[in-house]
Amino acid sequence: MTEIVGFCVAAVVLVGASLAVVLTPNLFHAVLWLAAALVATGGIFLLLDSPFLFAVQLLLYAGGVVTIVVFAIMLTERLVGASIRQTSRFVFSGAVLAAAVFAAIMGFVLQGGAVARPIAGGDQLRELGRALAGPFGVPLQLLGVLLVIALLGALYFARAED
Amino acid sequence: MPLAAYLVLAALVFVIGLFGVLTRRNAVGILLGIELMLNAVNINLVAFARFRADLAGLVFTLFTIAITVAEVAVGLAIVIVIFRVRRTIEADHLDLLRG
Amino acid sequence: MRLGSPELALLVLALPFVSFLALALIRPLRRSGRPAALVSILAMAGALGAAAALTWQAIPVARDVNPSVLWSWLPADGGPMASVGVWVDGMAMQMCVLVTLISLLVQIYSWSYLADEPPASLGRYYAYHSLFAFSMLGLVLSPGFLQMFVFWELVGLCSYLLIGYWYDRPSAARAAVKAFWITKLGDLGFVAGIVMLWAATGTFDFWPLFQAAQAGTLQVDGLATIMFLIYLGAVGKSAQFPLHIWLPDAMEGPTPVSALIHAATMVTAGVYMVARAYPLFALVPSVLMLIAWVGAFTALLAATMACVERDIKRVLAYSTVSQLGYMMAANGAGAPGAAFQHLTTHGVFKALLFLGAGIVIHHFHTNDVFRMGGLFRQRPWVGGAFLVATLALAGVWPLPGFFSKEAVLGAVLDAHLSVPFLMLIATSFLTAFYMFRVVFLTFFGHAHAEHHEHPAPPIAMDAVCRALAVLTLALGLRAALTGHHAEGPAWLPWISLAWAGAGIVLAWTVYQARAVDPARLSAALAPIDILARRRYFLDAIFAGAYRFLLLGFSQVIGWVDRYVVDGVLNALSAGALRAGDTLRRLQTGRAQDYVYGVALGVLLLLVWAQLG
Repeated sequence: MTEIVGFCVAAVVLVGASLAVVLTPNLFHAVLWLAAALVATGGIFLLLDSPFLFAVQLLLYAGGVVTIVVFAIMLTERLVGASIRQTSRFVFSGAVLAAAVFAAIMGFVLQGGAVARPIAGGDQLRELGRALAGPFGVPLQLLGVLLVIALLGALYFARAED
Repeated sequence: MPLAAYLVLAALVFVIGLFGVLTRRNAVGILLGIELMLNAVNINLVAFARFRADLAGLVFTLFTIAITVAEVAVGLAIVIVIFRVRRTIEADHLDLLRG
Repeated sequence: MRLGSPELALLVLALPFVSFLALALIRPLRRSGRPAALVSILAMAGALGAAAALTWQAIPVARDVNPSVLWSWLPADGGPMASVGVWVDGMAMQMCVLVTLISLLVQIYSWSYLADEPPASLGRYYAYHSLFAFSMLGLVLSPGFLQMFVFWELVGLCSYLLIGYWYDRPSAARAAVKAFWITKLGDLGFVAGIVMLWAATGTFDFWPLFQAAQAGTLQVDGLATIMFLIYLGAVGKSAQFPLHIWLPDAMEGPTPVSALIHAATMVTAGVYMVARAYPLFALVPSVLMLIAWVGAFTALLAATMACVERDIKRVLAYSTVSQLGYMMAANGAGAPGAAFQHLTTHGVFKALLFLGAGIVIHHFHTNDVFRMGGLFRQRPWVGGAFLVATLALAGVWPLPGFFSKEAVLGAVLDAHLSVPFLMLIATSFLTAFYMFRVVFLTFFGHAHAEHHEHPAPPIAMDAVCRALAVLTLALGLRAALTGHHAEGPAWLPWISLAWAGAGIVLAWTVYQARAVDPARLSAALAPIDILARRRYFLDAIFAGAYRFLLLGFSQVIGWVDRYVVDGVLNALSAGALRAGDTLRRLQTGRAQDYVYGVALGVLLLLVWAQLG
């Protein structure tokens, strides 16, 4: 029962915040709504018995990403000298296309039969750690390399003009 | 809650993100849309992992989150550079590739 | 029948070819001029020696011995489709001697005649000469139509190259192209004929064809058509009416080249081919009749044109056309032997006439006979040699022309071709007239005052002329002493001698004694005179036909190309451009529009997956 209530709350917050992200004219507000949506997503992760991912979501996404975006907005806002109002283009066609894609996905989702939810058990965090160190060890290393390259690239792009 | 509920939710968030990507004029706004779409994917991955008792979904989610962070960092750096050069971050004005 | 050794024949063939290869491939040798000429002359002397040895060593054999040696060429199922080889009978050997002899003498003559040419050009000239001799010898020794055709075309190519030797002169370049194309017109018939003959009989080789023809077992539908087509090749090569128009223009080449073309190599090829293939022609009397008529008509027509020509080389060119008409008439009258005899004797004295004319032109620096005169007193040797050749051409006893012309006339009379016979008799009168016209105008009469003293002609040119004059006399005397007489009534020699004498007397009256004004003579014969001066409008007709047919056709094709072919292409390209112009608007350059594309694509994939 608590799951249903939790899901409903998280879903409403998530969908509402998402809509706000794409609809609000104030870019800064949009970022804050994004943060709300990300936190709600973290809640969904909790409902799916993944507290570790919830923590990662909060730390990296809601914390890191939103911070970076806020910094970027403030930087450009400082450069442009006015608060950035954002407008939308082709709202109707975008909505139609998005709705069509949604309908198409729904076609698949509704085709699938009900799947029984297995009993959660074991130490998920330990298993995750083993997986990351074992079968997924190489991708993890590559991911580290990717992050380093991305950071260096971002630094290079954003360096002060000389 | 059945699996379908999570999937419908994820699909909804995904198309909302798509809508944002399609309609936002501001480059940062487009990036926010992309974040939403990636987030929807994460929900899907975690939900499948849970319902199929498969750890790979969780690992992929971790990877996605990490890659997203990198993407955001690089994307915003590009936005800042474009802004410096063109004095705008309106995506409509960035049409150097026009045929 | 006499049979020669094939090895010697191959040697005759190989020497000029080796010389040509050496001159063509070794650039420093070719560009050195004189050494190149020496190589070519030595090779040709060797070839003459080999040809003489070939004739000397020939052994008499029975008539039914195959005189050819063959090697298979184009392999095919069931035996070779075509073969190459040599055919060494008496006619071929005699022709080999003639070709090598004239080529050698002309090459020696050219040594002095073209002494002022730059060395590189001279090397090129001798390279062409070697190739020319090789081609003609290959043609002469051909044992089959296919090989003959290959060498036939090579001969045509070489005459093109030599006529256009001074290719920087527009007139020479035009004459070379004209000679090439006019003879190609005949060659079209030739190649069609031999291919049809091959299709009907399955062989190109003379021997099986002749055997079947003589045994009467050659059953070919439309043989008359085939032989007529083959004869067309000879019409082009041997300058028969109406394809004779290239020969006078071929005078644009150096004079020794004219001597070579007229005496031994190019124009004789057609006569030789018809004589060679006579067993086949004998099966189709209608074609033979045509050959005789066309030959006699050509002889008469060319003789009239020679009477009004002022250019000494062109007079000689028309006389060659005329004499070729004699040879062809003999072929058509069923006497290839008489034709071949006239071919050889004519080769010798026509070479002498041209080489003598070369000296004359060298002396006067003009080709116009009316601006010459009185050369005999200054150059008695040249005058004597030229006179001997002229008498031979006019057919005066005891010079070789008399006997060979007698043989031709006798054969034509024998074949009951009375009209061609009358034409040929008239021609012999005209021949004597126009040749003595040249002699009186050039060697006698008044020396024009404007000519200061000239150095004597170079020794090589002089020696060659003397050698040819001696040879002409010797040939005539041999014929006179051996009592070589053609068949024919007893009055025939007297008639032809009388006509020749009348021609000489008329020329003397008009141009030497000046008893009759030439203008009045031509006024009396006004229609013929005008026609002959205009060359019977044949050049104009050819040019007109070319202009109307070919250019008209080209214009039609050009119109089709410009408006139909190009139109389709233009429409296609314009459509492509317009389509591209329309489609490029899809490329807005805005990232979000591309995202629309991606989303639509995803949508399509989803729908497709759903339906599938």
